Amino acid sequence: MLSEIAIIVVRGIAIGSIFSIIAMSFNIVHGATGILNFAQGNMFVLGGFAAFFLANGAGVPLWLVMLAVSAMLVAACVTFQGWITLLPLRSSVEQDSWLISTVAASTIIGAVLLITQGPYAYNVQGIAPSFRILGVRTPGAYALAFGCMLFWFVALRLFLTRTFSGLAISALSQDFDAARAAGLPVRRLQLVAFAISGLIVGSAGYMVAPVISVTSDAGLRYVLAAVVGGIGSNLGTLIGGPLVGVVTMLTAYRIGGAYQDLASLLVLVAILMLRPQGLFGRSSARRV
Amino acid sequence: MSATAGQTMALPPAAGKRRFSSDLPQVWIGMALIALTGFGPSLVGNSYWVHTFQLVNIYIAASVFQNFLFVDAGQKSFGQGVLLGLGAYVTAIFFGLHNYPFLAAAAIGIAAAAAGGLLFALPALRVQYFHLGFVTLSAAIVFPQLLMSLDRWTNGINGIAVSMPDLQKEMVFGLSPLTLIVALYPMAALWIHYFIRRSRLGRRMRIAAISPEAARTLGIKPGVMRFIAFIIAAIGTGVCGVLYLPTVAFVSPQGFNVELSFVFFFAVVVGGRGQMLGPIVGMWIVFILPNIALAQLVEYRLLIYGVLTLVTVMLFPDGVVGTIERWRLRRSVAGRGEQAFRVDAFLDTLGAGHDATPGEDVAVEVRGGLKKFGEVVAVDRADLTVRRGEIHGLIGANGSGKTSLLNVLSGLSRLNAGSFVIDGREATRMAADRIADLGVGRTFQTPRIFSQLSLWDNLRIGIDARVGAGDPGVARLAAALEREFSEDSADLLSHGQRRLVEVMRTVLKEASIVFFDEPAAGLSQSERANFAKLVTFLSRRMGKTIVIVEHDLDLVWGVADAITVMDAGRVVATGAPAEVARDPAVQHMFVGGRRA
Amino acid sequence: MLEVKGLYAGYGIVPVIEDVSFSVRAGEILLIGGENGAGKSTLMRAIAGFNRPDRGEVLLDGRPLQGMAPEAIAQAGLRLVLDGHRVFPELSVFDNLRMGAAARRSDRAGFAAAIEEIYTVFPILKEKHRKYARDLSGGQQQILALGQAFVAQPAALLCDEPSMGLAQALLPPILGFLRKWAESGTRIIIVEQHLQIAAPYADTAMIIERGRVKWSCAASELDRRLAAETHPAG
Repeated sequence: MLSEIAIIVVRGIAIGSIFSIIAMSFNIVHGATGILNFAQGNMFVLGGFAAFFLANGAGVPLWLVMLAVSAMLVAACVTFQGWITLLPLRSSVEQDSWLISTVAASTIIGAVLLITQGPYAYNVQGIAPSFRILGVRTPGAYALAFGCMLFWFVALRLFLTRTFSGLAISALSQDFDAARAAGLPVRRLQLVAFAISGLIVGSAGYMVAPVISVTSDAGLRYVLAAVVGGIGSNLGTLIGGPLVGVVTMLTAYRIGGAYQDLASLLVLVAILMLRPQGLFGRSSARRV
Repeated sequence: MSATAGQTMALPPAAGKRRFSSDLPQVWIGMALIALTGFGPSLVGNSYWVHTFQLVNIYIAASVFQNFLFVDAGQKSFGQGVLLGLGAYVTAIFFGLHNYPFLAAAAIGIAAAAAGGLLFALPALRVQYFHLGFVTLSAAIVFPQLLMSLDRWTNGINGIAVSMPDLQKEMVFGLSPLTLIVALYPMAALWIHYFIRRSRLGRRMRIAAISPEAARTLGIKPGVMRFIAFIIAAIGTGVCGVLYLPTVAFVSPQGFNVELSFVFFFAVVVGGRGQMLGPIVGMWIVFILPNIALAQLVEYRLLIYGVLTLVTVMLFPDGVVGTIERWRLRRSVAGRGEQAFRVDAFLDTLGAGHDATPGEDVAVEVRGGLKKFGEVVAVDRADLTVRRGEIHGLIGANGSGKTSLLNVLSGLSRLNAGSFVIDGREATRMAADRIADLGVGRTFQTPRIFSQLSLWDNLRIGIDARVGAGDPGVARLAAALEREFSEDSADLLSHGQRRLVEVMRTVLKEASIVFFDEPAAGLSQSERANFAKLVTFLSRRMGKTIVIVEHDLDLVWGVADAITVMDAGRVVATGAPAEVARDPAVQHMFVGGRRA
Repeated sequence: MLEVKGLYAGYGIVPVIEDVSFSVRAGEILLIGGENGAGKSTLMRAIAGFNRPDRGEVLLDGRPLQGMAPEAIAQAGLRLVLDGHRVFPELSVFDNLRMGAAARRSDRAGFAAAIEEIYTVFPILKEKHRKYARDLSGGQQQILALGQAFVAQPAALLCDEPSMGLAQALLPPILGFLRKWAESGTRIIIVEQHLQIAAPYADTAMIIERGRVKWSCAASELDRRLAAETHPAG
């Protein structure tokens, strides 16, 4: 019994860390552009695929090199997608085209993965050895997930409050017109925000690939869980993400068997119905 | 005096005008296209196309409702496939597995879809924008899993097969009852969309979607509008689900995955958001193209949906039909110049015929009103008393809190402390729509003119917001305005005329208390003189109570019965115009600034 | 020299600004008045690139700026301070000033000097340099907004209603600061409703009516010109 609770808590927090990471990658883009990138989940899965093709079974040095390569590859994809998404917003009065174009991008990436990789789940070998915590044997990738979350939280915080570009991205989210009047290079900063969000999900997808389902259609679910955890505030999602992780894990455990996947999804949907802005999210939106 | 007066041209008589809205012709063309593809294949006896277009027509109907929900109600749902699936699956369960009569099973199926719509609508009452997109998207993700897992009721992955040979039997010209029904239904859906859009409900729904703020001051509860829209769309889509069953004769979880919801959404975008023909053209492009031209490459379908949509958003942001429609509108507008909108002639039909005088009882009273935005105090313990029937000028420098006070009084924002009474009713905590229903009307600094609606419909939303029986004089005025402006675009109005439209909207609303927020800004001298006459007319002949926030002091002193002066959120003087003019504090404020 | 020639701008198909021309020489302050809704803010926004002008030219020292994005115009040396004391509320006062340097990032020494100067003129900014901008009063926020523009050391400054939402007593020190700033060679345009208070600080004045230049004159004559057309109220 005790070990079961430990499993739920440990794995719940670890899975929840992934939700939190994805939520943080949403936040930086949303702050800078007002866009919520529906394709972000697919980009995360792309990181998982990168782990499979570039570093499956690799040793530590190669794994580290490929981590950087994968993160940058995904960042390049996200930046390109961001560039496309921002294009019509430059001139048009139609300011919600991003909703359509990011959903379309998500569909395209999912379809390309399906066509090239098939509908199968890929198994990726972990780099980190499994370890015991609270008496439970835990795959190393779970620790990586948690560490990755903490790393990105701290890194983002430093970036947004200490560096000029980071402060400028914060400024964009606070008063877009005033930022333009001040001469901040708006489009470049927005692309930087997309690139950073790509680094975040790319590195996360790569590191946790052994414990997620690397399939062509997994993207949207992670996005969903991230939204439930709450987007809008990085600090909020630090709690909201793991909380959602534990709740879904608990649900899966209580229901068990064939229904566990469904039950945890239903819990997410139910939370969204009751609290559509997410557990710790802020429901605000600004136009680009 | 006015430089632009020369550009203002009288319009040709209404009979010669081009149509403002192409909705009706689009519906007719849509009917013809559906008839062609719905009946044509049967007439020539091509069973492959008969079947394909049966399904396409059902999907078109679902997209019509998506279009309605997306544009008329402003709700972005990515889960309409779930509602169709609910209609189809629940009907299949009761009809195919439990042997209910088809109609009874269908009724249960539609009810299930409506219940699904209710679930979508609940979050829509509170959140908007992408949050709603996620809720509906999450439903679309979970739905096929749900069908798979609940195999005790749904047969799981094996699905449910039904057989309804009677519906497939050919009658005359090779047409089966099913072919007829599934072609007639999208036609009906088009008409339903068309009539809702033309109705009071439809107009109010649209206003709520475009400008919730203006909608609330017209007595509209945006949440309720969204709710109704979701239910209508859910029932309409549920019927599509019921029709899906005999058409495909089989339901399985794979048939109702996220892809289906995306198809409906993408079809609307590609065809043209808000265009009656949009769903038809969009569905042909999005669905038929990949399914028929590339029938062998099933797995490429999703990719093609996505690419088509992305390309459309990039190249034709208005969609295919929308781009054509825009071109048509531009052509019909070309060479027209600014549009004339004059109301003087119409006003003769109004009023009691004798002059009213301001009474002694109080129409609006604010006590100690305090409104803060963060650390900034916008309204600082202000007191204000407005007597019934008077014209009350509210003046002060920019940022002195006049508009903030007006927003509080019309319910758009709440006081942090203090209270106010409207018509004897404690209104401090009332929502804007309730205040509007007390008989309050207002205009905005930037006139809320909706270019999607014709000029007449822009006025008519005032009538839509009226509470109680209308005045016959106002009804005559409305009839005259309708004759004159029903085919005019509101886009061509000059700034001054936009203001006038908003003022007339409050007249048609028959508001007894009217707040004007800087009505003279941007008006020429002659327009101002006319506006002053109009305000006096509204007050003296129609007995309205008027609060007017204005910088043109000549205008205010010319019409007001009482004046209140604000500075940095505080009321610094109030009283009759002559008294206020003598107040040293006020003289200090306005000398030199008066003309600027 | 900042020159505006035959500028037309508006929203959608509704014209707001029509055929506006004027010029401001280095070291000069142009005061623009006009009623609410006359198009002053639209004019400022059109010059600064927020509204794309339909026709006409904006020349800064002969270089055309019309049609460029607002951030590019700011980097070219024309800086608009928006009305309503707009600052970045969740950044500290110092970081707000730092954002002002976006238009001159390479010049670190100049930035430090400009910061020192603004701290000397408005000690309150130094005192609160670590506070969030949201915790400042409206007047302090306006000073911060101007300070942010100051550290950029633009060649031309447009200042839209610096008095908006502030008590009037705060206006003279702000205008005095702008005057000193202009004398260092900056071209300054001030849009202001309190013409009488602002006129002594300006060199020329211009009145906009219904989107067109009604007339312009030396700032010292403004009072007389205004009085000539004003008829007593009430």
